[in-house]
Amino acid sequence: MSTSLVVPLHVAYIRALGDSKNELSYHLSAHLRMNAVYWGLTALLVMGHKDALDRDEMIDFVMSCWDEEAGAFGAHPDHDAHLLSTLSAIQILLMQNALNRVDVDRVVKFILSLQQPSGIFAGDAFGETDTRFLYCAVNALSLLGKLDELDVEKTVAYIRRCKNFDGGFGAVAGAESHAAQVFVCVAALAILDRLDEVDQPTLCWWLSERQLPNGGLNGRPEKLEDVCYSFWVLSALSILGKLTWIDSSKLEAFILSAQDTESGGIADRPGDMPDVFHTLFGLAGLSLLGYPALVDLDPVYCMPASIIENLGLRKGWKALQRRTS
Amino acid sequence: MSIEQHNVKRSRQTPEALAEKKQREKSKIDEFLALTDDVLSRKKKRDWSNDAFELTQRLLQINPEFYTVWNYRRNILLNGIFPESTPEQINNILSNELSMTTTALKANPKVYWIWNHRRWCLENGPDGPERDGVPSMEWRQANWDKELFVAERMLDADARNFLAWNYRRYVLANMPTRRSETSELAYTSRKIGANFSNFSAWHQRSKTLVGLWESGQLDPIQSRDDEFELVSNALYTDPDDQSAWIYHRWLIGSGENKGQLEREIQLIFELLQEQPDSKCKRLWCMESLVHYKRLLLQNHSPGSQTLKQECVELLSRLADLDPVRYVRYQDLKRDLDQ
Repeated sequence: MSTSLVVPLHVAYIRALGDSKNELSYHLSAHLRMNAVYWGLTALLVMGHKDALDRDEMIDFVMSCWDEEAGAFGAHPDHDAHLLSTLSAIQILLMQNALNRVDVDRVVKFILSLQQPSGIFAGDAFGETDTRFLYCAVNALSLLGKLDELDVEKTVAYIRRCKNFDGGFGAVAGAESHAAQVFVCVAALAILDRLDEVDQPTLCWWLSERQLPNGGLNGRPEKLEDVCYSFWVLSALSILGKLTWIDSSKLEAFILSAQDTESGGIADRPGDMPDVFHTLFGLAGLSLLGYPALVDLDPVYCMPASIIENLGLRKGWKALQRRTS
Repeated sequence: MSIEQHNVKRSRQTPEALAEKKQREKSKIDEFLALTDDVLSRKKKRDWSNDAFELTQRLLQINPEFYTVWNYRRNILLNGIFPESTPEQINNILSNELSMTTTALKANPKVYWIWNHRRWCLENGPDGPERDGVPSMEWRQANWDKELFVAERMLDADARNFLAWNYRRYVLANMPTRRSETSELAYTSRKIGANFSNFSAWHQRSKTLVGLWESGQLDPIQSRDDEFELVSNALYTDPDDQSAWIYHRWLIGSGENKGQLEREIQLIFELLQEQPDSKCKRLWCMESLVHYKRLLLQNHSPGSQTLKQECVELLSRLADLDPVRYVRYQDLKRDLDQ
């Protein structure tokens, strides 16, 4: 149990991620490599340590994942293009100020080709559909300045079909509300300036009921807490201006207690193995909660707020004021 | 080092143990990387052979999340194997795919790519053999029926697996002979009966009932009363379970039925009297009372100072009992004053 954030250890932990090539699990997660680089880089930026990873090496890696046939990015060299890795690639290049490396027209064409007649997006040419992919598409188009090429009405119409009586959203029409899907739907609506679609009183009630007596947040009723929901739930509350509807100090203590204070990194819950996914979403949660000395994070795009502001894309979300100690 | 993991306990290993583990893993890594190289270079060369097909299977057994290899496997089927197969052979191949992925699913119930591959198999299967010169739907029927069975076995293992629920809804919506919504309602009754706190089943029940009401198969008024009885049983059995309370809120909806609203307020009030010791149980009773009294106020008794006062008092007690959501209660109180 620790009461403060061990920044140097987390920075060292992220820097060391690429050094574990002699572990089988490193190779078994190649299909998530692009996402992992985005998670690691964003975590470093939130901690104010952008330069802890080599910029050129990172850009070279991203470009080596370009799938020439599809016209978008895969998760790893020679892996097929997918919306998940394409969004991560665009976010990385933007954070490294290297977006000029992208063939924007081809990427936009790839993204738009994945929208289905119903308005939802498939992740790739083989057609699994999910509101996660819809968010990836909306986010990426927005970052590329190409939102005007999207059929907004059709997109919003599908999100509307995913809305449930509890105010939340599911992965597809008819699916149960889930905090991660709430994040993607609310953030997509925020980007499209359509938050009027959200039943805000009901959804904020549902979101605030995700906090458990130990301070952690769960993703659905009667499920266990998990650090990653610190972002999925908080981002949505922040976008809807209701971050104060949960107990921030209890949540902060819960996130901090999930740190590995010997080797760095944050885990899903106290005592578990850390990973870069939970490290980012733990830090993202702490940033929104005003934890001292962290960089402001934009909850809509899950990137540093200053970058989004410079693009003129900032929406009306509210984080807690950054504390000085 | 994994990139994303859940429920893996942290353990400290000695440097010796770590070195030994790495040594043990070395040959596995070499084998995995060699196999990966082989498969991906065949993919680049558009090798649609049976050999390549076998290799994708070996690789996917080691790593079922390797989506590129699932894509390649489907392309081998489409471009290499199906063109040389009879419809019956294609059906057999796809049945094998489904069996193979059933095993993989049991070990990895939350891997999206496996569920996705099954969808593709179902959608690409031939309808069935000809019977007396007329095409039949036998294969398609059998595959989809079996699929519903598999999805339900997965829900037996984990009743909250949302991937399995989503998949099951997909199967129900697409199978050649649809199941009736009445039998779906019975399915949710069984799931809820087995465990009142299965919110996934309550959610599915709400969707099913709307279908039954809209199609006129059930009388909305009578059916709603039956639902209130069911959910009351759940509330009395375990009043600190959120699932039943959230469902109850759905049944009340926007609170247009005054009699119903008053009846349920009375019932919850009685439940609250029975729960003096448990904080959690009292919270949900009080929270629901506030919500329903506010609906009464808005829809049926605008301006009632008594109701307003009751809400304010309940909110003050809630703020004391549940300081975690203190601001929410304060905000609601402020709304009442406006």
